[in-house]
Amino acid sequence: MSAAFLRIEDLCFSVGTFRMERLSLEIATGEYFVVTGPNGAGKTVLLKLIAGLYQPDSGAILINGRNVIDLPPWRRGLGMVLQEGLLFPNRTVEENIAFGLELRRVSKLERQRAAAEMAERLGITSLLSRRTEMLSGGERQRVALARTLVLKPPLLLLDEPISAADEQARDTILCHQLKELQREGDLTVIHVAHSRSEIDRVADRVGHLVNGQITRIEITGAR
Amino acid sequence: MIARRFSRGFDMLMTAPLVVYAIMVAALFLAMFTQITRESLRIAFTDPALRHSIWLSLSTSTASTLLSLLVAVPSGYILSRRVFRGHALVDSLIDLPIVLPPLVMGLAILIFFNTTVGRWLDRGLVDHGLFVYQPLGIVLAQFIVGCAFCIRVVKAGFDAFDWRYEETAMTLGANQVQCFFLVVIPNVGSSLVAGGVITWARIFGLFGPILLVAGTMRGKTEIMPTTIFLETSIGRLEVALVIAEMMVLISLATLILFKRLGGKGVAG
Repeated sequence: MSAAFLRIEDLCFSVGTFRMERLSLEIATGEYFVVTGPNGAGKTVLLKLIAGLYQPDSGAILINGRNVIDLPPWRRGLGMVLQEGLLFPNRTVEENIAFGLELRRVSKLERQRAAAEMAERLGITSLLSRRTEMLSGGERQRVALARTLVLKPPLLLLDEPISAADEQARDTILCHQLKELQREGDLTVIHVAHSRSEIDRVADRVGHLVNGQITRIEITGAR
Repeated sequence: MIARRFSRGFDMLMTAPLVVYAIMVAALFLAMFTQITRESLRIAFTDPALRHSIWLSLSTSTASTLLSLLVAVPSGYILSRRVFRGHALVDSLIDLPIVLPPLVMGLAILIFFNTTVGRWLDRGLVDHGLFVYQPLGIVLAQFIVGCAFCIRVVKAGFDAFDWRYEETAMTLGANQVQCFFLVVIPNVGSSLVAGGVITWARIFGLFGPILLVAGTMRGKTEIMPTTIFLETSIGRLEVALVIAEMMVLISLATLILFKRLGGKGVAG
């Protein structure tokens, strides 16, 4: 396994009754790390801390050797997909997928080409011109995934990104597209998941999070 | 549409007060319409002072509304999005112009311009004053009262917005300014328009504070509510009626527009 791409050192964070104390974790470049655990264990909190959406009380988060703790989310160079999809309601599916590229001043033609290509890989080409309120939960999640993947972020944070998809779509997205894209781009992925079959299909390692602490790390053979 | 399984009698009982009140309001305005004569219409539309009053009402209301929006958008955003020291105090202070009689606000403005700072602001640059008994005083009084309404409606729009969209945009590379203009504003747009419309409607009919701050100078600081007051006081009731009916129609159109845009809160 390659050197650590993400290193979390003694991370402390508390909000309300939830407490995360001195959490440390190392994830290698190109690794597919799955986080699992009961509700309220702090899985989403952990992703949001890495993404910079929450500010930890203390500790360090190093991405590619650089401490990003004081960097805002938009400077951390990572991608995140939340469970709900959260597509921008004022934009079509294609405009949603191209949003990040638009921010990076990619030409319109190139944006359309990249969005179409990613949509094809995730089987959502037919949705490109649709308004987002017309989509089902599973379709929303796939569009949200495409919107992040099209940016090819070196670190991908996935919070139950395909939980609303049906079994067949889940299998296709996970086994073929998501894993394939990860291997192609040598993406480092942290994926919050509940389903055992989902975990077995993609994980290189599985971290069990309980009460804000990684209690056990399991090595699987998905790679 | 009322489903058949509901009791028709109960619905009629609940609807009756609404119908009675709606008829009362409509009857009042219809009664005014019946008193309008062709001659009063001719006077209202040809008298230069009255035409100036209509123009001044429309233009000052529009200017104050734009000014209110300019203040209300960032204010509503920050009040909705952040909790800071003194948040509750600022929030209550903004409600004061809504709950107090507008006349009190007018008095407060007038008193302020009698202080050292106020005198300097009013007469520091221009000898005859910028605000007191000047058309700019109309805009100031309208702004002070109207901006509070505007902030309330705009803040309600921001409150209803799911802020996780902003977080999502940040993880896609958008900084705070880009989030605000590319994600937040396009999705609360109807609230901003509704805020503008209700503010315009509120200040269009404002009278008390304008009377105190800008006075009632015919052809200079006379606006439509002032015209109604002046025309009534000199016994030209029929001309006052025309102006009043014009205000009714303009306000009705504005409120319909506000409701169509999904406005809630103050007038919702």
